[in-house]
Amino acid sequence: MTRIFAVALGILTAIGGFVDIGDLVTNAVVGSRFGLGLAWVVVIGVVGICVYAQMSGRVAAVSGRATFEVIRERLGPRAGLANLAASFLITLLTVTAEVGGVALALQLATSVGPGWWIPVAAFGVWIVVWRAKFSLLENVTGLLGLALIVFAVALFMLSPDWGALVGQALTPAVPDAEPVATYWFYAVALFGAAMTPYEVFFFSSGAVEEGWTRKDLATSRANVLVGFPLGGVLSIAIAGCAAVVLLPQSIAVTSLSQVVLPVAEAGGMLALSFAIVGILAATFGAALETTLSTGYTLAQYLGWSWGKFRRPAQAARFHVAMIVVLLIAVGILATGVDPIAVTEISVVFSAVALPLTYLPILLVANDPEYMGEHVNGRGMNAIAMVYLVIIVVAALAAIPLLVITGAGA
Amino acid sequence: MSERMAQPAGRVIDAQLHLLDRQILDRDGVPVSVVADVELAGIEPGRAIEPDAAPPTITDLLVGMELPTRIFGGRPPSSRRMRIPWKLVADVGTVLRLGVTGDRIDATWVERWVGRRVVGRIPGGRHDPE
Amino acid sequence: MILSDLLGSEVVDAAGERIGGVVDARFALDGPPGQLLAVPRLVGVLVSPRSRTSMWGYERTDVHAPWPIAHYLRYVHRGLYLAAWADIARIDEGLVVLREGYERHDPRLRTASQGS
Repeated sequence: MTRIFAVALGILTAIGGFVDIGDLVTNAVVGSRFGLGLAWVVVIGVVGICVYAQMSGRVAAVSGRATFEVIRERLGPRAGLANLAASFLITLLTVTAEVGGVALALQLATSVGPGWWIPVAAFGVWIVVWRAKFSLLENVTGLLGLALIVFAVALFMLSPDWGALVGQALTPAVPDAEPVATYWFYAVALFGAAMTPYEVFFFSSGAVEEGWTRKDLATSRANVLVGFPLGGVLSIAIAGCAAVVLLPQSIAVTSLSQVVLPVAEAGGMLALSFAIVGILAATFGAALETTLSTGYTLAQYLGWSWGKFRRPAQAARFHVAMIVVLLIAVGILATGVDPIAVTEISVVFSAVALPLTYLPILLVANDPEYMGEHVNGRGMNAIAMVYLVIIVVAALAAIPLLVITGAGA
Repeated sequence: MSERMAQPAGRVIDAQLHLLDRQILDRDGVPVSVVADVELAGIEPGRAIEPDAAPPTITDLLVGMELPTRIFGGRPPSSRRMRIPWKLVADVGTVLRLGVTGDRIDATWVERWVGRRVVGRIPGGRHDPE
Repeated sequence: MILSDLLGSEVVDAAGERIGGVVDARFALDGPPGQLLAVPRLVGVLVSPRSRTSMWGYERTDVHAPWPIAHYLRYVHRGLYLAAWADIARIDEGLVVLREGYERHDPRLRTASQGS
């Protein structure tokens, strides 16, 4: 059990990246339209986030500096602000979506309309951010989020035609019914979700919250190597379930209840309950991750005192910022906007945030002043440079694809 | 290139590289601010410098309105500068460490005010997380 | 004067010919002893013939990784030198005038960890 808790940070971080409310639906949409034809993107994304999250964790453990401090230091105030503005907007929109997602998951569990649950969800997130210890928060949401493994179990219980599924995954092709641009739009969306910048903000700040030092480099690596691949497996499992059940019936996924449909079909009420618990924990965990990330980025850029290891009064502006963020999220949701549609807009802001986040991490991970003997090796730098190019290409392609495809419609 | 100049006796820092945009921590490791700019003494703009003039020195770290002016241009009024005197700096590394606690520095008044007047008044604001 | 007034300034020689831009200011912690650290005294300014900003200083340190980035920036800042304080005749808004017969000193920081 203690082993699981040791990697809770990695699991929670990955949940926020791969199976938060936007991704739950995107994965199911992708599965129901492309089968496993985009699974390769998830694999590429998992490797990429492992490379950069491991670097950010190593920088935090060795030098004690979290990612946005490094961004301000390397990029200076101007490019740093451009990144802050973009990252903050992505994360704020994601907070909004997750709070809405918690409300939707509660609706799924209770059949009471989401309007009532939105303030409850936002208050719940705030009270945990305000009062709970960091370790408690990551252990509970990380552990309960594991209930999402039911999607992988359901995939086996559906006893699909494995040959066909593996064939889709290994020889990806654009289905006849779909435009090529739409296929690539979802490819970029999945890659962007896997590499969402708030994952490294949260992971590196979490490393500081937990007080990691050089001695914890192995822990950091374990967190990365367990958490993100697990997130990738869940992501593919959700797409796989949708590919097996929803694709043949041409059911278009538009809501959370359709996402869990295959699980209910495979395992009945028990499996469905697991799925709902998992979704609730994942969205709530992602809400915590993103809310904290807004506070971390703002505080680290401006040099404010931050961290849940301090009393709120000793990280005052950090806590005020997060309260304001949650109030804005509730305000956006009060307009009746679809929380899931909100996350799709954030793809646009990734264009700025992704390269400006990962470049400074790479530079500092090579700086002996910060890292001493723990600077990147050649292999790590080679992979990281390749990914930097992929990130820039994906970022540049994101906006044109969004416009051409009308957000994948 | 000339090698004739004697290497300085003390540690050498390049201000842009080693000071600007670095995090400032107080004696207890609490973040205070980020170095927005550095104030120099001993330069009189436009005046010819005597051949044996004493070199300029760093007197203060600036942590206030210099940030927006560095981003958007313009120049901060010198009367409104938020200074942390260099004599409080205890160490220069990947962060700048001060030799005093943050509470004793003018530059932390906003954090202290928000902590006392806003966050400290919300229930639980003064307690350790559980 | 504040540092950002100096950074990015144009550098001209005694004849008024443009010879570069100020990318950084080098200080030595060997001034009068303060309470905790010595007061930093200006050693000189780093002048780049082709650029006015150098954020990461690869041309002054012995950091060579990540290779493409470090080598590209070394190339951009080739010819960078240190102009000593004693060789500065006048500092004005956005302008640094060097004395006649100024010398171009080696800009390297002694080791990567030194001064950092």
